[in-house]
Amino acid sequence: MAWSDNNDLFWVNSSYKKMNRIIILTPLIILLIICFFSLTYLLSGKDPNKPPSALLNKNVPSFESTSLYDTKEIIRTTDIKNRKTLINFFASWCSPCKIEHPLFFEIGKKYPELYLLGFNHKDPTSDAKKYLEDDGNPYDFVGVDADGLIALEFGVFGLPETYLINEEGKIIFKFMGPITKDVLKNEIEPLL
Amino acid sequence: MSSLVGFFSLVFAIGINFYLFLSRYIFKFQKQKFNLFIRLSSLLTLLSFFSLMYAYVVSDFSNYNVFQNSHSNKPLIYKISGTWGNHEGSMLLWLSILSIFSFFFSFTKNIDAGFQRLTLIIQSLLHILFGLFIIFTSNPFLVNSILINEGLGLNPILQDPGLAVHPPILYAGYVGYSIVFSIAIAGLFQNTDDEWLYVAKKWSMISWTFLTGGIALGSYWAYYELGWGGWWFWDPVENISLMPWIAGLALVHSLMMVRGEQAIKKWIVFLSILCFSLSVFGTFLVRSGILTSVHSFAADASRGIFILLIFFIVTGFGFLVFLLKEPNKSNPLNLLFINKVSALVINNILMIIATLTILLGTIYPIIIEVLYNKRISVGGPYFNATVIPIMIPGFLLMSIAPILSWQTNKINNSKKYVLAFIILSVLVLIQSYFLDFNTWGFVGLLLGFWIILASIIAIFSSYKIKINIKFFKIINPHVAHIGVGIAIVGITCSSVFQNELDFNLSEGDKFNINGKTVLFEKIETTNQTNFQSLRGKFLFDIEKNQSKEIEAGKNYYPVSKMITSEAGILHQWNKDIYFILGDQKDNEWFVKVLINPFVSFIWLGVIIMIYSGLIAVTRR
Repeated sequence: MAWSDNNDLFWVNSSYKKMNRIIILTPLIILLIICFFSLTYLLSGKDPNKPPSALLNKNVPSFESTSLYDTKEIIRTTDIKNRKTLINFFASWCSPCKIEHPLFFEIGKKYPELYLLGFNHKDPTSDAKKYLEDDGNPYDFVGVDADGLIALEFGVFGLPETYLINEEGKIIFKFMGPITKDVLKNEIEPLL
Repeated sequence: MSSLVGFFSLVFAIGINFYLFLSRYIFKFQKQKFNLFIRLSSLLTLLSFFSLMYAYVVSDFSNYNVFQNSHSNKPLIYKISGTWGNHEGSMLLWLSILSIFSFFFSFTKNIDAGFQRLTLIIQSLLHILFGLFIIFTSNPFLVNSILINEGLGLNPILQDPGLAVHPPILYAGYVGYSIVFSIAIAGLFQNTDDEWLYVAKKWSMISWTFLTGGIALGSYWAYYELGWGGWWFWDPVENISLMPWIAGLALVHSLMMVRGEQAIKKWIVFLSILCFSLSVFGTFLVRSGILTSVHSFAADASRGIFILLIFFIVTGFGFLVFLLKEPNKSNPLNLLFINKVSALVINNILMIIATLTILLGTIYPIIIEVLYNKRISVGGPYFNATVIPIMIPGFLLMSIAPILSWQTNKINNSKKYVLAFIILSVLVLIQSYFLDFNTWGFVGLLLGFWIILASIIAIFSSYKIKINIKFFKIINPHVAHIGVGIAIVGITCSSVFQNELDFNLSEGDKFNINGKTVLFEKIETTNQTNFQSLRGKFLFDIEKNQSKEIEAGKNYYPVSKMITSEAGILHQWNKDIYFILGDQKDNEWFVKVLINPFVSFIWLGVIIMIYSGLIAVTRR
């Protein structure tokens, strides 16, 4: 590598040689790591759009959040008791969120009794409002999660993420990544 | 029939490459004959590609691939581009471009015959690997067992002139690095003289220029077709084209250094292997569908494993040769505090850090999912927060690097530069004060203008101005940097100072944009050959006689039941006015207007970079 060529400046010859070997080995090591992870991923038969479910059947974490449109309006865990709730974490900067966005209108139309709760994740309020104006607002309530603390409680790893919570307040379904028509039909609708 | 021709010419081409590969050890060839065989295999590969294209053009639905991806109603140009608008065809295009590069390389003069042959044999090896991949996992020449009269159509989002030419040009960049890779490996094996560095320089310049064009076309397409008003989304598919681009930029700059210093051979070999590795890795990520992306591609695990294997073999082989056959010890670099070599070395380091940062962000979701069984997405905030700060010192250095001396610490006319920089800073500060002050806006504008200004000062103070080809070749590095500066100004303005206006309008309404009156004329629906279009017609600046008409709307493709948005863009030199037609509600249409200042500067900057890439190819 370029900077290691000037051995006389930085290292004594013998230790330089060892160092040089290690530096030259680095790309091979990185290659092995990348290939290992990619291969494990491919072999595990994971569908990039179908996520693992670690939080299933656990109680919904407690949260408290204000409305995006009115800071006086507050939603708490107790408010979603006794009804089925679909919680969706989204942000204006998240491009996969745009893909799934129209589906929430369909869900809302088809299941009017289902409570659609959106959490706006780490987003400036103005951007979030703009996003919901442009693409429409399918949610019954949009809670602000500006510092990402609610997402932390839910164990959200990345956006978008969707949770279905039953009447007892248990998470019965969790999906990471944009939901699709197939997911909606085969996995969410049977639970509704 | 064409499927048969295509399949067998592909098999023959791979066979010839096997033969050539073995010829190194078993059969002995004369140089002339060897080159003839290389060209023959290239032509056969192209024949295979064109027979697939022929099947698309005549809508030969007996071919399964054509049946899946084409439709007889499609306009001719999209029938042609349909050839590479699907996985199988695009891999065949990949292989064809590899062949074209081998073909032209076989004509290179002034290099050692043994060296040329070794390079071409490595190319043959790559041809065999990817050829087998096509035949075993993604054969585009499968034939339907029953008679079919109509196809299933092509993804409508791909029915666009920009996207028709985008893949071939991008691939020319990706695959062009194969020849740089082969040259570098052959150079390691032979290790005789440094002549190969000059050959590598030309080919890496060609690849980089194509890659620049390909990326620019892709992001221009995203700008007007996705209808989100932006042109870069840090999408995985975009990232993987950016990585070889930055690494290639580092390579081109390192190869420049060869003129002044013979010292960095090892680094150049490393970069050459890296560039092609990243290209193959990009192909793997896209083709395996391992990452979710706004670009829709079909996922197939067996294909993924096969390309991963190729990636492993190619990269592993490359870096193993690099490990075992280190280039000869070269002279130590003269890293004085500030000379051209140290500036280039620092810039190289920054570019590699940026590449690795993007790589990490792109594959991080895979690693996390394997380790923790959880899904994450890494988006714009990560890349903006990490990559941009890494690049900034590089941009600063870039403005003065071309005028530094190769050997000494002196900068000519340093006072002039300091003075110019101070004046410029004050001007930009005043300008930012009057607009709303924004730190990133300030930094971006200052950097962009400074690069332009410093390059112009360098041109005028270091060379005699003459209008001839030689002069343009001499000032070419400065011109390239001016292009970068212009692009930075465009990027900064369009992202930081973007302005958004929303309207709810009925037909016949008038509204105001930046003091100009705009008339929402009417909504029009028409039936085109293969889609229905809905267009809102706007008249911009109706007070003037020459008002401009803008159409924004949506297309509906009945065959694939998809809707695409078609933004209406009014291009002006200093801003784009970007119209998006939203949904209808009680006779009112939601219309969004984005004012993107100086977007044209981005494309202008890119065109200048491509121009100077072309000039650099002709320069030795």
